[in-house]
Amino acid sequence: MASTEIARYLEVEGRQVPLDPEGYLVELDDWTPAVARAMAAEEGCELTYEHWEIIEVLRNFYARFETSPAMRPLVKAVSQALGPEKGGSLHLMKLFPDSPAKAGARLAGLPKPANCL
Amino acid sequence: MQYPTVPPAGDVLVILRHSPHGSSWLREGLDAALVAAAFGQAVSLLFQSEGVLALVKGQGPGPLGQKGTSATLDMLAMYDIESLFLDAVALARLGFSSDELQLTARPVDQAATAELIAGHRLVLTF
Amino acid sequence: MILHILNRSPGSSLVYREALAGMGPEDRLLLIEDGVQGALTSQARHFESLGGRLFALREDLASRGLEGRCDASVQVVDVDGFVVLTEEADKTVSWF
Repeated sequence: MASTEIARYLEVEGRQVPLDPEGYLVELDDWTPAVARAMAAEEGCELTYEHWEIIEVLRNFYARFETSPAMRPLVKAVSQALGPEKGGSLHLMKLFPDSPAKAGARLAGLPKPANCL
Repeated sequence: MQYPTVPPAGDVLVILRHSPHGSSWLREGLDAALVAAAFGQAVSLLFQSEGVLALVKGQGPGPLGQKGTSATLDMLAMYDIESLFLDAVALARLGFSSDELQLTARPVDQAATAELIAGHRLVLTF
Repeated sequence: MILHILNRSPGSSLVYREALAGMGPEDRLLLIEDGVQGALTSQARHFESLGGRLFALREDLASRGLEGRCDASVQVVDVDGFVVLTEEADKTVSWF
């Protein structure tokens, strides 16, 4: 669920973007590609074309279903949009280590997925 | 009307008995189904009694902007929840037919309902 | 055998119909909380299809002063009996 608690601010192109205690956006409307780049840069990661493909799938998923996907539906959505190789959990784990559903949702400016450990 | 001839089986049967918007029961039941499916359980849903209203087309947010459940229903297939059943008597009592629904669910009568319950390891009612 | 548990009375909720619809020929129904009103002689007809498979929880009957008012078709069990019914069942299904 989206949290309304502001833990800190992320500076993006001179704007102060509030983040919740787990690093997700407090205001989903704050998202821009620059916000995603800034979040990734904090983790020492540069977003590649392959990251952006997944971010787009995530944002489309949220626009359609009003919910951030857990891992299983994320795999399915990516497979449907980009083909089975990119929908493999290996590909997703490589791009978003630890938890693709959570890390991906954060970069895509979505609430933290609820049904997901 | 067609009724299932083979008793459907699965890990978890979630019975949804409440209509959208009036309470949080429907949403909580759907959430339980999604969690179970996210953990790889084979989940079936039975829309029973006023729960069949969850399937009616054209639903929107509540008057104060409260989120509805219609988008969640569309999402069920993404969680591989495709074993959907509905209480045929309740649907008819409320004056709806199957082609007026957002999703396809198999109508079940009383005997099929009992088989459905018997065929799942865990049954949760909401 | 599945143990179905009903906590609403036939007078206030039609959920008992779905409970009955969901029951197989061996399944048992236990009435608890307000559901015990269904055990009254005046109400038990709603459950006549169950034969001897209808139970009611003694503690909930007693607290409502209904213990002596049960229909002969109802088997009254205490909490320990509830536990035994649960143990004998493959699973339980709650109706509320």
